[in-house]
Amino acid sequence: MPEIFINGQPVAAKSDETVLQAALANGFYIPYFCWHPSLSIAGNCRICVVQPEGKNWVEIACNMPATEGTRVLTDSDLVRAHRKATLQFITLNHPVDCGICDKAGECTLQDYHFEYNGERSISHEPKVQSTKFVELGKRIVLDNERCILCSRCVRFTREISKSNALGIKERGDTSLVRAAEDASFDDDPYSDNVVDICPVGALLSRPFLHKARVWYLKPTPSVCPGCARGCTVNLWHRKPEWRLAALDPQQNVSIARVTPLENPAVNGPWICNKGRDLAQIFERPRARQPMQKGKPVDLPAAIAAARRLIGEAKHPVALVSSWGSNEELAAFRNALGNRFTAFVKPDHVPAPGERLQDDLLIRADKNPNTTGARELFAQLPAEAADAFAEATDLVLVWGEGFNFARLPRGAKVVFLNAWLQPENGYADVFVPVSIQTERAGHYTNFQGVVSAFERCFPKQASVADAETLFAALALPAEVRA
Amino acid sequence: MPGQQLIMTFPVTATSHTLADYRARGGYQTLEKALKQMTPQDVTKEVTASGLLGHGGAAFPVGRKWAVVKLNDGQPHHLCCNADEGEPGTFKDRWILEHAPHLLLESMLIAAYALQVRNAFVYIRGEFDLPYRRIAAAVEEAYAAGYFGEAVLGTNFACDIVIYRGAGSYVCGEASGLITSIEGKRGYPRNRPPRLTVKGLYQRPSVINNVETLSNVAGIIASGAEAFKKVGTPKCPGTQLVSISGHINRPGVYEVEYGYPLQKFLFDDCGGILGGKKLKCIIPGGISTKVLTAAECEPLTYDKQSLEAAGSSVGSGGMIVIAEDTCMVRLLQVMLRFYHHESCGQCTPCREGMGWMHRIIDRIVGGQGRPEDIERLYEISRLNDGTTICGMGDAAGYATIGILNKYRDEFEYFIEHKRSKLSGNLEVAGNA
Repeated sequence: MPEIFINGQPVAAKSDETVLQAALANGFYIPYFCWHPSLSIAGNCRICVVQPEGKNWVEIACNMPATEGTRVLTDSDLVRAHRKATLQFITLNHPVDCGICDKAGECTLQDYHFEYNGERSISHEPKVQSTKFVELGKRIVLDNERCILCSRCVRFTREISKSNALGIKERGDTSLVRAAEDASFDDDPYSDNVVDICPVGALLSRPFLHKARVWYLKPTPSVCPGCARGCTVNLWHRKPEWRLAALDPQQNVSIARVTPLENPAVNGPWICNKGRDLAQIFERPRARQPMQKGKPVDLPAAIAAARRLIGEAKHPVALVSSWGSNEELAAFRNALGNRFTAFVKPDHVPAPGERLQDDLLIRADKNPNTTGARELFAQLPAEAADAFAEATDLVLVWGEGFNFARLPRGAKVVFLNAWLQPENGYADVFVPVSIQTERAGHYTNFQGVVSAFERCFPKQASVADAETLFAALALPAEVRA
Repeated sequence: MPGQQLIMTFPVTATSHTLADYRARGGYQTLEKALKQMTPQDVTKEVTASGLLGHGGAAFPVGRKWAVVKLNDGQPHHLCCNADEGEPGTFKDRWILEHAPHLLLESMLIAAYALQVRNAFVYIRGEFDLPYRRIAAAVEEAYAAGYFGEAVLGTNFACDIVIYRGAGSYVCGEASGLITSIEGKRGYPRNRPPRLTVKGLYQRPSVINNVETLSNVAGIIASGAEAFKKVGTPKCPGTQLVSISGHINRPGVYEVEYGYPLQKFLFDDCGGILGGKKLKCIIPGGISTKVLTAAECEPLTYDKQSLEAAGSSVGSGGMIVIAEDTCMVRLLQVMLRFYHHESCGQCTPCREGMGWMHRIIDRIVGGQGRPEDIERLYEISRLNDGTTICGMGDAAGYATIGILNKYRDEFEYFIEHKRSKLSGNLEVAGNA
């Protein structure tokens, strides 16, 4: 544990740390663009300069080993002058078009400009013009004028996603980040992370392009249900205080974008592109109408009918959702666990062309809580018929993904589902249930790590929460709600 | 020739670069001596004792560089010969590659023996054609004669050599840019620490030396450090291949003994200034060294200490002579255009600063200069001093500051009157 001195104060650094890491870990802020905790050291942005005590020069903190007795100043006049100059250099050819930039509001360059520079450009020269809206694949557009050439995105594709899909072309102030010519960036399932790690607004997400100003959005911590990894994410949606009253009120209850919520235990600072597209999962057409044999009824009537079927059944079987939260699964076991023979059903299977599994994040099991469910219930046999006995007379199907053709003939069906699907009308009783964004809960990932998700949007009155629904279904049949 | 010669010791003929001629001059006997009579430590000790300085530009003591590489540390070591001679005004390594390629190869073998190097590399600039063919032919001859490969001269020393052609980037002549280029990556210089002698080419301890530096090794081992130290000055032993160009009557490559009077070299050996003009200034060692005015040159001798005392340096030995009436504003424009073109674009101050300075000087030459431009050039130069990964930003700054300090009046005149104070030419009339 080498002891170093930052601004005269002793700091215990770890033996393989740099001065920048030791400073950040101990509450001294040093600005940085190109350095990233998960990437190699590039040392090219030159904003993280510190002054060795007693010397009249500066060095970059990101590549300075924290060796015993190192003494640096992070806020001397010389350091401030150099930071200011570096920001002048960076903004020399940067268009400063914050007004139309998606990154505005969360841009490192903006923050540092106000913190360390605050002055107009002192240059009289015209800016170097470069290419804008360059397609780096189907999901990312690049604005080379905004790019400060920190090379984070290039290092990400080399060191983290290993697609080697990005590189730098040309040189000097006309250097350009470009995708490899074989278009491998499209095949990189982690490509959207470069949008997050871009310190400026050079790399932009096409689905989010010019969709919202980030200061109107708020992040709600959640868990990606796309696979058994259960990456923690932030779901960004419109702040309640900035609700849209006109134009497109649907935006108030839509996910604007998804970003990783850093979590060293599960996903680090990354998520895959499927996690970015959670809106495509959560914003599918919803089922909101309770039904009996396809006929609309109100929710209490549907619950009463389901309860009656459960009361009458001799050999009921339940297919439990692997998308249920730990709370819902526990509620099911407590309320109905003795009544049903229960199996855990995979709600989602890998889609055609989807990456099955890799070394970084993606897991073959495309359900978020198989582990949590399997702690309580048995796995559904590969041959569905094995789950059903001859005498099975009622099947409770919770969640999507089960082919009704595999149900035993003659058995009644109670179906709990959130999405608009044809099976809803075939069930004897259909109860619409809430989705993840409408409730809070926990998932257990494949490693056994439990992560929490919170509620983003209100649930409609005609939709049941599975957790309370199970308690209601367990009441004796003659007690009417 | 100015002073004693160590490298240009033979008349150049049509065959003087071949192995047969080199052997006839006593070639490869030193290698045999080193391999059979000396230990690797002895060789390094001899080179260190000779006080040989690097000839690539920084004049770093060779012995100190070599001493960092630990023998028997269980790692492979690498030796790279930097033949990416790209400093404007410099063409001295080309002479060695063209006329004495076997001197370089023999020296590299001795260095490889001293540093326990199995694989040596020559990184040669892409624009070199004849030098490449000569060194490539020399390598083939040397392999055929058994100087490379397994069991060199019947000893258990083995060494292979690879010639790697660059693609024409100035920055790849910087040692760490050179090794990233050999590794097949974009030729970006690397951050230090770690030093290249600790973790260099392919993450192994590597020594990168200039062509001329390495070429001196054979001579030092042949005649001993004491004999080498008798040449040149006590603090700066040996000779320097000076490639002199510009407004001079007899441009070319000269081997100058350190300590030789500069004035004598310019006016006697090189025949004086073109067109009988007066000397205005010289750039002594490639454009990245500070300019020296005629008055400053007068008392100087050509060696590290003397030139450094005058505020410049030996640099890469690429001397550019500038006659009176040459417009320094246009000269700086040419220099800044080069630096702008060659900035690799990695570090912010250099990437943006070189273009900025180039655009400012272009504007001044275009008659749109502003009074604050001079201060701006100073400021950008200062902000590049020591703030970039490699030395290119620094070098451009030194060169700019050197010219601005000494010829500020020309810049002020150009900005005020929108034309050159002098003829505005870079060429000497009638000799262009």
